[in-house]
Amino acid sequence: MSVTKEHSERLRREDVRQRWLLSVPALITIILFAAGPLLVVLLFSFMERGDYGGVKFGQFSLEGWISVVFTKDIFDDSLILAEANLSIFWRSVKLALLTMIGALLVGFPTAYFIANRPASDRNLWLFLITIPFWTNLLVRTFAIMDLIRNTGHINRTLMSLGVIDEPIQMLFTDGAVLFGLVYVYLPLMVLPIYASLEKLDHRLVEAGYDLYANRFQVLRHVVLPGCKPGIIAGCILVFIPAIGAYVTPRVLGGGKNMMMGNFIEQQFGPARNWPLGSALSITLLIIVMVLLIAYVRQDAKKGDTDAQ
Amino acid sequence: MKPETDFKTPSVAAEGIVKDFGTFTALKRVDLTIDQNEFFTLLGPSGCGKTTLLRLIAGFEAPTEGEIKLMGENIATLPPFKRSINTVFQNYALFPHMTVSENIGFGLKMLGKPRAEIAARVDEMLALVKLQDFAKRRTGQLSGGQQQRVALARALAPSPRVLLLDEPLSALDYKLRKEMQVELKRLQTETGITFIFVTHDQEEALTMSDRIAVMSAGEVLQVGDARAIYDRPANRFVADFIGEANFLEGRVESREGTQHRVALAGGTLAATGDVPVDPGAAVTVMIRPEHVQIVAEKTEGGLPALLERTVFLGTDTHYYLRMQDGAEFIAREQNRSATVTPFAPGANVHIMVDAQSTRLLRD
Repeated sequence: MSVTKEHSERLRREDVRQRWLLSVPALITIILFAAGPLLVVLLFSFMERGDYGGVKFGQFSLEGWISVVFTKDIFDDSLILAEANLSIFWRSVKLALLTMIGALLVGFPTAYFIANRPASDRNLWLFLITIPFWTNLLVRTFAIMDLIRNTGHINRTLMSLGVIDEPIQMLFTDGAVLFGLVYVYLPLMVLPIYASLEKLDHRLVEAGYDLYANRFQVLRHVVLPGCKPGIIAGCILVFIPAIGAYVTPRVLGGGKNMMMGNFIEQQFGPARNWPLGSALSITLLIIVMVLLIAYVRQDAKKGDTDAQ
Repeated sequence: MKPETDFKTPSVAAEGIVKDFGTFTALKRVDLTIDQNEFFTLLGPSGCGKTTLLRLIAGFEAPTEGEIKLMGENIATLPPFKRSINTVFQNYALFPHMTVSENIGFGLKMLGKPRAEIAARVDEMLALVKLQDFAKRRTGQLSGGQQQRVALARALAPSPRVLLLDEPLSALDYKLRKEMQVELKRLQTETGITFIFVTHDQEEALTMSDRIAVMSAGEVLQVGDARAIYDRPANRFVADFIGEANFLEGRVESREGTQHRVALAGGTLAATGDVPVDPGAAVTVMIRPEHVQIVAEKTEGGLPALLERTVFLGTDTHYYLRMQDGAEFIAREQNRSATVTPFAPGANVHIMVDAQSTRLLRD
């Protein structure tokens, strides 16, 4: 008896060892490309800044983290809230949320339109949606700039038509950044919503109509709840890259309308403050995580009350 | 709208309905009248157009030609949400994000009924389909039979004039299907709502229906009650589709009213047809296997046949016979006594059928 027990114990241990061995490639990938770099950033944020960029290894300092929200008064060195930084955070969150809402408002009807095409045409529509992805982001952003700058096509056309006398300042505004962000991230909203709309059982829609729901009511009570997972996925997929966007606010927002991505870049570049840049990167991560957790919590609570 | 006391106006009338899908004609000029408080069944093989007809009545499709009348009013152009008609879908189509109660109350909510009225009606419906304990469950947590009952309750809750049922029992197992057949008939009698039931299962149709419309290839071939369809089929397709049937080719020898004498291979038979057929015309006679009696000696009105095979089935014995012209013929006899030994294969026998059970078919 004990022999078989021993044997099975050995088999079990071998099984565990093999399982670990099999997950080694995945573990290496995670450590090398996800956890590792993050750890480096975290370490850098707690170090003394180097004089010409970089950090002084081994010299612990909270300076980077303090500078995230505070700035030293130039006269007496006391800490005061860095309003410029806070306004950048606020602008980032605000623009990311507005981008998400804008992309949802444009993306949902688009996805709905595609999902209601004949099956043979849908792939063509999806293809058209993804085509802009093939072009370099920078090129597309400069194209927008060319459209909306003071001597751009829109202003020139409006002026030659006599609608306006002076060019409208559109470039280097929050509106321009928002427009650019919505344009860039729209496919990320359309695709997941389309995927969930396509899976939506059409008979549910018919059942809605059958039970006296008009078109609006069917949309509200049947279609929207049915593709909620797609809407949520789309919102997350748009919000996260939008809050850390770099190219779009840089090109369309100019120097004044910075977002966190530009602010971070500045620390690693001209400002040569790597600890602050690292701390800002982690701050961005925390903002996203807090918002996501808050959402998940609230959704779970809602799910509970629904079931009661 | 006609007054409630008017019981003569057909509940649903389809008048000259044609439905084309591109080049394919799904319905070729269908005329049907369905009475109030009737359990009406559309029966036919898949692709015969029965579901298309149901979808036209529900309003999911618009007819290419013709009118659909609900209590005498043409509703062919009304969207589904403006028709007092509800549907029980084949796969139930319950809303997965709602509870059983919310599903049942959905129609009333969309009609803008007050909350208290909806709650009361939902309770009533839950009791009707015996699902009181499941009110707060999500529909995904229910068994197939329970989902079926929720679908029924949901469709009945707004008290529609007509309930459409699109093969609602096809996803259930045999025993549950039997129970639901009784249940459906009970609900129809209790609620007094017109039921239009679509099925390809002849047994379901015969069990529940007041009247049956047999459809094939976009046409209604015959409308009648179960007995009429089974005993007096209008043509060969109906006879073949419902129950088992033997078909013999012959020629009319003489006739007297609707009674015909038909010359067949090896003898003549008296046959009944609804319309007179002139002597000399080639016809088909239909005989149900259970209407046949097998005798050993030649008697008046018997047809000679060769017994090829006997199958003893406990309650019945099936005889596989071959007629003189080579046609196959099946006869079924109930084993009324344990002492009687069935005929042995290879025997020369005669089949006897009475004139009422021998149907003359035109095609």
